[in-house]
Amino acid sequence: MIYITDGSFEGILTSVFEAFRNREEPEDIKPGVDVQLSFLSGIREIVTDPEKSERVWRGVQTKISQRALEDLYRAYLSGHPKVGLYIYRYIKIGLKLGDRVENYLQHPDVRAIHDLSQKVANEAHRFLGLLRFRKLKNGIYYACYEPDNNITMLLTDHFAKRLSDQPWIIHDRKRDIFALYNGEEVVFTSGLPGPVRPASEEEFYEELWKRYFESIAIESRRNPRLQKSYMPRRYWKYLPEKQL
Amino acid sequence: MRLLEKLQILAASAKYDASCSSSGSGRSNRPGGVGNAFLPGICHSWSDDGRCISLLKILFTNACIYDCKYCINRRSNDIKRASFTPEELCELTMQFYRRNYIEGLFLSSAVMKSPDYTMELLVRTLKKLRNEYRFNGYIHVKGIPGADVRLVHEAGLLADRISVNIELPTRNSLMLLAPQKDPVSIFGPMHYVSERIMEAREPVLYRAGQNFAPAGQSTQMIVGATPDSDYTILSLAERLYSRYRLKRVYYSAYVPVNVDENLPAISTAPPLMREHRIYQADWLLRFYGFSAAELLDEAHPNLDIRLDPKCDWALRHLDLFPVEINRAPLEMLLRVPGIGYKMAARIVRARRIGPLSFEDLKRMRVVLKRARYFITCSGKYYGDGELDAGRLYPLLAEKADSGVMAGQISMFDMAGTSWRG
Repeated sequence: MIYITDGSFEGILTSVFEAFRNREEPEDIKPGVDVQLSFLSGIREIVTDPEKSERVWRGVQTKISQRALEDLYRAYLSGHPKVGLYIYRYIKIGLKLGDRVENYLQHPDVRAIHDLSQKVANEAHRFLGLLRFRKLKNGIYYACYEPDNNITMLLTDHFAKRLSDQPWIIHDRKRDIFALYNGEEVVFTSGLPGPVRPASEEEFYEELWKRYFESIAIESRRNPRLQKSYMPRRYWKYLPEKQL
Repeated sequence: MRLLEKLQILAASAKYDASCSSSGSGRSNRPGGVGNAFLPGICHSWSDDGRCISLLKILFTNACIYDCKYCINRRSNDIKRASFTPEELCELTMQFYRRNYIEGLFLSSAVMKSPDYTMELLVRTLKKLRNEYRFNGYIHVKGIPGADVRLVHEAGLLADRISVNIELPTRNSLMLLAPQKDPVSIFGPMHYVSERIMEAREPVLYRAGQNFAPAGQSTQMIVGATPDSDYTILSLAERLYSRYRLKRVYYSAYVPVNVDENLPAISTAPPLMREHRIYQADWLLRFYGFSAAELLDEAHPNLDIRLDPKCDWALRHLDLFPVEINRAPLEMLLRVPGIGYKMAARIVRARRIGPLSFEDLKRMRVVLKRARYFITCSGKYYGDGELDAGRLYPLLAEKADSGVMAGQISMFDMAGTSWRG
């Protein structure tokens, strides 16, 4: 049986609930929008149910651990095509092993969740540093980026605490996700128009930063390969220091 | 002079300081403040030499009264001199920080007029930054050798980390290359800082403890400007870790910038591979339970440049190997070449659920390239052959023409020895 969800984390947890209740082993749990699919045999369309997903959520928290729940959520943010199935299988093993499941890395499904969670956490950590804000004419600090994983919600708390006295926007251009901070709270939205022009002093500070970046490197230690391994080329697009 | 030009001169003068770490402090923001400190530290960029940029690493001035032979900023050099004002530095830090270019400020300086005069300028800048600009992010400040401890004290109350650079590992080397600095002027402030840090860590019952350099103290030594051996360097590092509780000792491969009869020729390449091996050995001291005397001794005073220091040690102690992955205590797993502390901990946790096979280790992403020669899994050895130093050395040693030996150290080689710390 293939479970079709709305693509949300709650949708996956609802699927886990249904699989346990129906005592069946889903072949796959994946997002889909084509309702016609549900007329085909071997396909079950899962309607996201807050109550059912909440029960699975609590079950993971109490019978496995808070950390496992966070791992599952981070793995979900990777958008990996098989992640729904991995989450289901991880929970199934976790209900037997309890919190020891986190260490059961010799098991392929546990390792899959662990690896995806780590990948997402690593990228989020990287962007705590690599995100660049530009001050706009209207005084808002605007940062855009195109991360591999859907990590915006993992970044906002950090920046709301750190840059608490300046309004800012974090824009995931790949997924059309905007996180808006007004000095008090963060809201998520999509479909906003592009940013207004940068503030007049912006060019000056970007120039200072670029020249600083050049001056701090030691020529006789030049090592572009090492630089790229820490800061892959696909991230350069929005780094002022990597623009000529 | 334009701000842009000052920035270029004073960043270029600061670049030989290896540390750029922003770790070890977890201060949260305060109402009306700008910034916080993130305990594990954050890298914001990587420069063309592959080193992490976390802090705005900069000198207050490069106009120096000293004439240390190895230093680009020595008085006798004919180079452009520049100085910031405290306001300029505060403004730069804030503007960079608000754009998320940096994690904070690493403020150092050449010695202008006198150590006290210079230290006072640094303290005044930090005070302005903390109080007027309400900057609450990470600050690393240099203790100027010979500065009054009262100034060092003030700096410690404002900064997250303080470092006084040792520069050279022996009195003789210091006398030869930095005759105006003496060990007392360096170890004096270092000792003072370590006492204050330990005091501030003591539990305080009835009042909030004063925060003194919450991210601790570090230092730096130059490698390759003098004939001092790795044994001398690592033994000193070991003493610094135990006696002064230093958080980090940084090592900086000497880049010849000056001509002097007591220095390597200007055409000498910086000994990057040696620096790398010393970092690896430093890691073994801090996280793997090794002592300097286990790794080196008078008869064998330098690390093998072709072999990582743990491999080198293991080949000299083959009687302790192979180690059974499913039973060996953590301390012994940590001594297996190729197994880092994360992997060792992962193995210990996973084997509680069931015995681990060689395939399981692979699946757990344990790197077995070197480890395979030193372990058994449920009694079976996977090193195809005898456990013999003569056979293993060529299998484990870096090939002379490899990128690593040419100093092109990759992230893989850097694992655990990165500049972030």
